[in-house]
Amino acid sequence: MPHLEIHNLTVSYDKDQPALAQFRLDVEPGELVSLLGPSGCGKTTTLRSVAGFIQPDAGRIVINGRDYTHLPPNQRDIGLVFQSYALFPHLTVFQNVAFGLRMRRVPKAEVNTRVANALKMVGLEAFANRRPAQLSGGQQQRVALARATVIEPQVLLLDEPLSNLDARLRVDMRQEIRRAQQQLGITTLYVTHDQVEAMSISDRVVVMNQGKIEQIGSPERIFAAPETVFVADFMGFDNRFNAAVESVQADKLTVNWGGAPTELRWHSRFGSPCPGAKAEVFFRADNASLSSSSDASGLAGQVILHTFHGNEVQYLVETQVGEFSIMQDSAGERFENGAAVTVQAQTQKWIAIVE
Amino acid sequence: MIRRPNQNRSIILLVSPAFVFVLVFFVLPLIFLLSQSVLPEDGGITLTGYVDFFQSRVSRIVYLRTLKLGLIVTVICVLMSYPAAFVLARMPARRRSFLMSLVILPLMTNAVARTFAWLIILGRRGMLNQTLLSLELVETPVRFIFTETAIVLGLTQLFLPLMVLPLVSAMENIPDDVLEAARSLGANRLTTFRRIVVPLSSDGLVLGATLVFTGSVTAFVTPAILGGARLLLMSTLLRQEAVIIFDQQAAAVVATVMIFTTLAVNLLLRVLRVRQV
Amino acid sequence: MISRWMYISLVILYGFLLGPFVIIFMASFGANANLAFPPQGFTLDWFANVFETSQFVDSFWISLQLALLSTIVSLVMGIPVAYALTRFQFAASGLVETVFSAPILVPGLVIGFAMLNFFVLLGDMGVMTGLFIGHTAILFPYSVRVVSASLRNLDPYVEDAAVSLGANRLRGFLLVVLPNMQAGIAAAFVLGFITSFNNVPVSLFLSGPGVTTLPVSMLSYLEYYFDPTIAALSTLLVIFTVVLVQTAERVLGLSQFV
Repeated sequence: MPHLEIHNLTVSYDKDQPALAQFRLDVEPGELVSLLGPSGCGKTTTLRSVAGFIQPDAGRIVINGRDYTHLPPNQRDIGLVFQSYALFPHLTVFQNVAFGLRMRRVPKAEVNTRVANALKMVGLEAFANRRPAQLSGGQQQRVALARATVIEPQVLLLDEPLSNLDARLRVDMRQEIRRAQQQLGITTLYVTHDQVEAMSISDRVVVMNQGKIEQIGSPERIFAAPETVFVADFMGFDNRFNAAVESVQADKLTVNWGGAPTELRWHSRFGSPCPGAKAEVFFRADNASLSSSSDASGLAGQVILHTFHGNEVQYLVETQVGEFSIMQDSAGERFENGAAVTVQAQTQKWIAIVE
Repeated sequence: MIRRPNQNRSIILLVSPAFVFVLVFFVLPLIFLLSQSVLPEDGGITLTGYVDFFQSRVSRIVYLRTLKLGLIVTVICVLMSYPAAFVLARMPARRRSFLMSLVILPLMTNAVARTFAWLIILGRRGMLNQTLLSLELVETPVRFIFTETAIVLGLTQLFLPLMVLPLVSAMENIPDDVLEAARSLGANRLTTFRRIVVPLSSDGLVLGATLVFTGSVTAFVTPAILGGARLLLMSTLLRQEAVIIFDQQAAAVVATVMIFTTLAVNLLLRVLRVRQV
Repeated sequence: MISRWMYISLVILYGFLLGPFVIIFMASFGANANLAFPPQGFTLDWFANVFETSQFVDSFWISLQLALLSTIVSLVMGIPVAYALTRFQFAASGLVETVFSAPILVPGLVIGFAMLNFFVLLGDMGVMTGLFIGHTAILFPYSVRVVSASLRNLDPYVEDAAVSLGANRLRGFLLVVLPNMQAGIAAAFVLGFITSFNNVPVSLFLSGPGVTTLPVSMLSYLEYYFDPTIAALSTLLVIFTVVLVQTAERVLGLSQFV
């Protein structure tokens, strides 16, 4: 049985544009699910509804078999980590972490041991008597995590917890959050707009757009097989072009790529497309390679710009189909601007999406 | 800022006590005042109060004098504050906060005490006359009190902080880099001041000017002490109409003219501020 | 960027701002009754005279009560307004802000005059009640603005954090928001107190027989007497203000809210 069930959740701030429409999601016990999408996609609204700060227009929230929909937020037993951390500035680290336990009237001795354990988990035992303002961003983040988990909540919610940290610290904190979450075995919803973060931390990822779910799946699946144009775009498929569908088999369809019929994996929300339908073909910069124009078959093009990235060189190539960005091993053959090249597709990693 | 569904009830609950208070005890009296200025005792609506006000030589002189002195005070305040504010804004924070508290101090002392000092300076046997007499520049004491100069001095001293404070806070926000950039591009000090500092602090200037001007044209204590009944301004005229002549409609007209004058100045300068942005 | 003449302008500015205080200070100890300058001799008689003049002593107590009462009431009603303005996004917020800043835009003398006429219309209202209402109304802009400023410095999500940890809304406010507003409230209190305590224009019309505020009674004293008693009283008030403001500045950093 799922630990957290969200049934057809609908929230509107304005009458015409719902912030969240018919949102459905089940989260298994101990699972970490990310809500991924651009700002305004409804991910934070979902989180705040589960926390009880937003009363949904329709739908239900069930945790551990109990209906939470109309429960006030202070009776929900949910740990919440805020984007701004929202630490209490006038309280020490210890008092911040102890706050939830005090609200639950936990005996003093137990408060002391539980807070000590929580601070130990995040490595801040030595900072118990500091004020939040005396801590670095990463340390504040850890206090926020300790404060939300020390109450042993039914569900842990994290709202863009890493967005205020610098890039290096983000990677460290990501691993730390994941480690703590698995150690405590706590069911978790994690909101982020960063696809790398979502993939690296999650058991499953929910990609959202304009209050609706675009795709739910494992990080691997979302990364390799986006089901909608939005997801493909959001997951960093650098190159796209339009093509007409020539024929359709069960799991492949054929489009014209530089004069040659090319078989591609496909996905459509509306069943099998007809020949002649318009497909959008996506591939990543490393899903194609370049060679000198004389040999091999492929699409002819010309290098417009090359940029050195260390292990790789990125080429911007102009072809009759469009401009493509292609990554090449920097140890291999190198091309100057203006060089004539042939683009060779690794079509097994490409995907055609028909909408 | 958080937007919550179903927040309206909380907002009404939070705002209404104070809102009702201001509405009943502040807005209603003003509306009543407005009605007093156009409703004579024998009924009907009439603008004769306003016609009388602007046709009477005395009240016209008083009104124009008030505006003139307000303008002079504002200009003097700008001239005195501008360079000083720049120095203050570039100071190390500790010294600046000490000096700023000295600017705030006069603001927090009552106007009677502050104006009284001018009686000592400008009185018949005051500091100024004693100096002039001992230097034999004059033979008999000069009358300084009950002159426009006295009022201007008193008001300038009173409202100077209201010009310094916004100017300093506007100038604090000009980064040093910007000034250095201007210098490195070939601007001399004066050009940098004129082309960089002045435009970037114009918000503070306009705010300060609004505060000083509206303060000057509505101040009561200073004109009452330093101008008296001989040299009336709008505020002292209002008091005279209401308490001595006891013409409530005329007093209401004077009060209304004061309100609209300050509102007009506020609006005008607000438009000016928006334009500049 | 800063040249010598700019420093000179600074000296002139401070001379002009603070010079009058030096003069008052000197005059309050001078022996001659006609305020001739420079003062001759040294006496504390004028200070004694302040305390012997019942009109000053009585009006001091009235001003003190009035300032305390109206500041507290304007804060009690103003804090919820500041809270609503900083924590909620709503259509009428512009209107609310305008209404609560209006008492600053209307000349104090006009407010006092309008209120006096209106209170007469309402019937027999005590002089003290009238003064209290007038002062409370003009303090709202300060209370609302200063408290709003301190609330804007506080992360709005700390309340949600408290609630998510099990506190109800009221406890969240009391345990988390209120402690962090202390400095702002205290600053608003000092500012409001001083504003009310020094006010002349609003009090002028609303004062009545036997019930007069200190600055108004100073003003009417000046109509009849011209001796250093006012200088002595002013010196006392300046010392009182300096102590109050400096304490507030030390403890709270008052100037950041002004």
